[in-house]
Amino acid sequence: MLTSLVQTLLILALSPLFTGLIRRLKAYFQGRQGASVLQPYWDLAKLFRKDSVVSQDASWIMTATPYVCMTAVIAAALMVPLMTTSSLGFVGDLIVVVYLFGMMRFFMALAGLDAGSSFGGMGSSREMTVSAIVEPTILLSIFTMALISGTTDLSGISHNLASTGFDLVRPALFLALAAFFISTLAENARVPVDNPSTHLELTMIHEAMVLEHSGKHLALMEWSSMTKLLLYMVIMANIFLPWGIDTDLTALGLAAGAAAIILKLLVFSLAIALVESSMAKMRLFRLPNLLTVSFSLSLLAVISYYIL
Amino acid sequence: MLVDLLFATLIFIPLLGAVIAAVLNGRPKASVRVAFTVSSISSLLGVAITILVFWQGQMRWELPFASPFGSLSFTIDALAAFFLGTISVVTFAVSLYSFGYADHYEGKYPVGMLGAMFNIFYVSMVMVVSSSNAILFLIMWETMSLSSFFLVIFEHRHEGTVGSGLFYLIMTHIGTAAIGLGFLLTYAQSGSFDFSSFPGAAQGMSDLLRSALFLLWAVGFGAKAGIIPLHVWLPRAHPAAPSNVSALMSAVMVKTAIYMLIRCYFDFLGVQDPWWGMTILAIGCVSALLGVMYALIESDIKRMLAFSTVENIGIILIALGVAMVFESYGLNELAALAMIACLMHVLSHALFKSLLFMGAGSVLNATHTKNMEKLGGLAKRMPYTSAMFFVGALSAAAIPPLSGFISEWLIFQAMLQSFNIPETMVKILIPVALGTLAITGALAAAAFLKVFGITFLARPRSKDAQEAKEVPKSMLWGMGLMATLCVLVGVLSFTILPALDQVSSPLVGASIADSLVEGIEIVPTVGEFSQVSPPLIAIVLVTVMAAVLMLSQVYGGRGKIVKADTWDCGTPLTARTEYSGRGFSNPINRMFSWVYRPIRTFRARKHPSPYIRTEMRYTSTTEPVFEKYLYGPTEAAVRWVAKKVSVIQTGSIQTYLGYIFVVLVLLLVVLRF
Amino acid sequence: MVSTLSLDAINTLAAVILLADFMLVASSRMRSLTRIFALQSLAMGCLAAVVAFETGAEHIYVVAVLSVALKAVVIPRFIDYTTAKIQVNREVEPLIKIPGSLLICAAITILAYFVTEPIMELGTAITSNCLAISFATVLIGMFMMVSRKKAITEVIGLLIVENGVFLAAISTTYSMPMIVELGVFFDIFVGVIIMGIFAFRINRTFETIDSTVLRGLKD
Repeated sequence: MLTSLVQTLLILALSPLFTGLIRRLKAYFQGRQGASVLQPYWDLAKLFRKDSVVSQDASWIMTATPYVCMTAVIAAALMVPLMTTSSLGFVGDLIVVVYLFGMMRFFMALAGLDAGSSFGGMGSSREMTVSAIVEPTILLSIFTMALISGTTDLSGISHNLASTGFDLVRPALFLALAAFFISTLAENARVPVDNPSTHLELTMIHEAMVLEHSGKHLALMEWSSMTKLLLYMVIMANIFLPWGIDTDLTALGLAAGAAAIILKLLVFSLAIALVESSMAKMRLFRLPNLLTVSFSLSLLAVISYYIL
Repeated sequence: MLVDLLFATLIFIPLLGAVIAAVLNGRPKASVRVAFTVSSISSLLGVAITILVFWQGQMRWELPFASPFGSLSFTIDALAAFFLGTISVVTFAVSLYSFGYADHYEGKYPVGMLGAMFNIFYVSMVMVVSSSNAILFLIMWETMSLSSFFLVIFEHRHEGTVGSGLFYLIMTHIGTAAIGLGFLLTYAQSGSFDFSSFPGAAQGMSDLLRSALFLLWAVGFGAKAGIIPLHVWLPRAHPAAPSNVSALMSAVMVKTAIYMLIRCYFDFLGVQDPWWGMTILAIGCVSALLGVMYALIESDIKRMLAFSTVENIGIILIALGVAMVFESYGLNELAALAMIACLMHVLSHALFKSLLFMGAGSVLNATHTKNMEKLGGLAKRMPYTSAMFFVGALSAAAIPPLSGFISEWLIFQAMLQSFNIPETMVKILIPVALGTLAITGALAAAAFLKVFGITFLARPRSKDAQEAKEVPKSMLWGMGLMATLCVLVGVLSFTILPALDQVSSPLVGASIADSLVEGIEIVPTVGEFSQVSPPLIAIVLVTVMAAVLMLSQVYGGRGKIVKADTWDCGTPLTARTEYSGRGFSNPINRMFSWVYRPIRTFRARKHPSPYIRTEMRYTSTTEPVFEKYLYGPTEAAVRWVAKKVSVIQTGSIQTYLGYIFVVLVLLLVVLRF
Repeated sequence: MVSTLSLDAINTLAAVILLADFMLVASSRMRSLTRIFALQSLAMGCLAAVVAFETGAEHIYVVAVLSVALKAVVIPRFIDYTTAKIQVNREVEPLIKIPGSLLICAAITILAYFVTEPIMELGTAITSNCLAISFATVLIGMFMMVSRKKAITEVIGLLIVENGVFLAAISTTYSMPMIVELGVFFDIFVGVIIMGIFAFRINRTFETIDSTVLRGLKD
């Protein structure tokens, strides 16, 4: 219980750092200096101090959404193992986590429609379209991991895989990981699905939905999106490749777990930055090509588990 | 016995109430009061009977007079009690709602008849799920169909209503024919019309007969439930009916078909062949996916909800199919899990669908339109209605920890257990069904987001929407009851699941109640495969929300909230600058255009320069695939046959007398031998 | 008897081959088609090498090396050269859109597994479970030939079919007799060269190698 709380607070505290790191890496690949890795922290602090402007056409949904989104990611973070496999697994499993993210997406999309501007509506409609194909991919990847490790409980999967060495590794695991990686890019508004640093209405999905928020509402929305990205990376690290995670709450184990997760997160940040820098954002109606590739990867993962 | 007495009361009170309401037709206010008070009381009686049956065990009541079809009896076992409870709870809420809703029809339509038919409808549904004699069942089934038909065509001066009602009548009779044929075949084997003799008869049947019965009942009950491709009547009939009736039809009438499917397959025939389960699974997948896809592009709120009913029936059939597959491989405990998931979704859907239809009715009352493209901004003008509709939409989109989420979670868990099946092809196909269910869930979330967002949020798109007012209190009470139940059934689901196990264990032959619930957690299978604790999720969410609110007050407390205009890029904000429903679903419309097959036309007024347009007209409609390729040819074939047969109708009386004479002679000759 | 490392290697390589099938269908550029095909042939060769290592049959080593040399190096280079010379539009133009093609390929894979299941249960070779993948590869290759417009992509489809046949041979009988193997290789090699020359010529005469346009020659 206590470990879950500590891990959650760590995730919340570190998420702006990893967003800043990805931005810095992208800048490096694009030949720029880039802002400091700590820049997102300064941004959030600045936003918290400002007034919030709320549209007079908006209803209570607009003001409630930032809090709901933050609540959803924190609740999800409670169930995700970071350095050690003990977490609040009895509250919910991986499917609950996916649906908590779904709750966050639902409220964000509603807030996009609430202000009555075309940008918000467009962002909402595109977000729901992308999620329609990404959700089955994620659920099938989870299914594959559940088949491989024998449980859908997050800490259970980490524990089973980490403590049995490489015995349970199948090709299905890597296919599922590839599918999940593409889904991470789609769900967290990364190139090639969406550009996280643009403010041109024709190219936004996520940015369009949060366009009307300001002040501490915007701070909460940004922070919850950063935390969502970090959670996806942690899930990739600790569910698909959990070796190194602590399983028995010893000091040495915790230290090893911390080192392992930091290393894996750095690798994933680098991978995301590489992919973002080397590809262009795809047209909206070309996205089904990419997303169906990830869906067939996850379907292949399940099939190959049974036939290979 | 108390239960018998209650049941007899339950049948006679609504009939009495119906008669009184019909008689009082001239005085609308009085007849509304009588009719819906009677239906409220009788639905409470229904709930009481449900609780008594779960507590004390099966109940059987025979009608005192004999009939040529054997003794007409009612049996309520756990399965029937569960469906009776669902029907009664929903009817109670809808009755409360109807007090205020029926006032809307005063002076325009005969409200007394509405109340009378409503009671008859409720009583016929009760008797459908409790009949244990095939002929009694068919009579009650027919009564249910007829009373709902009259209710559907209630607003008969409205364009298209009567046509929808007639189409519904035809489809339900085709279904009834298939059902009746199935019962007759079983009667031929068993010699009695009593349901208790059917399981024994099924033992002695050949495989061909069993498969024939499986298909007949799938078609017959499927037509009532609204599976694809027999669903076409649903989006026409449900919106045409008054909203309280639509709530009942969508939420509980289609469930009576599910009840009979469960009874026919698990109780009568006994599930032994895996292809039965796979067929139901396939039907469920197709219905779910196509239902939600058509729901997503609708602009009429009630039509969208009707398609969503098709989708949810598909989900229920997916769960039922998985249960049948497990049962046919002898994995009884897993079948119990899938069956419990199926029943849970029956309950969840009844709760949120009735709530949503009641909300749609409130919107219709307040704004006189159900086209969401003309609505908007209702969240501020109708705060309670919008809040309750929101709860219904959340439950439909499967947001934790509401009841819709719990039932979907259970269905996923049941499907995840498919690795226990020995046959590899089945093991590979069930994940494909899981993917279909996942995409259905995501599209359903999008559909309900669209309905709620376009109807209630942002600015009003028409004068009617601008002047909308909140609806009368009784309607709010009805909706409020359902909204509260949506939340409670989800959060407290761990108390309901053991009762559901009581329903499923005689059907699948295994009881998992002991292992299913541990304290406040739901643990679907042994071996720690997974667990979820709905009340803990609720507690976590509430606690964290409070913490976030507090902390952001502390850190950002000095920031004020300022009201201003939406950022408009310099253009004035009108209804046209908001997003429209059609635009919202446009990306999905284009991505899945092979399903929708949109027919697009574009006309522009001519002008000498091609760069100056003065008027443009764009229409986009989806191709009615099923009407065009299935119903149209069938109808044409029927007409062709009818034309050929009509040759015998010469119109001359001599020919008709001649027919009678010939047949009489033939009969005499045949009887001689 | 058979080391688990070899089994794992064979399973992983078979997964790579199946993955390459899907990537071939999903790619929309000509260059990536040849590259993925090269990767698939390389995996095929490695798989043959592992089989040779396990069974001790040395002629399979020769087959593996030939396969890698020919299909992973020479033929892709030649196809790239032809494509560059013809200067066609470097986009693959599918008749059936990519998401639909991918779903059809998934269905083909399930079908292939369904068809080969009884045979695989009887099989004793260490590569029995590759038989399903070989069937899938053959069918996906044929599907590619049917659903793509350009003549060069159809040739690649044919090459994939040959890959699938090769894999089937390896997985059931530890490869065909050497002479048959060599004959097939030579056949393919010459076939591809002739295809290249023809494509060049057709393009010179008609300015296109789009088969839907060439269909007009019928009239």
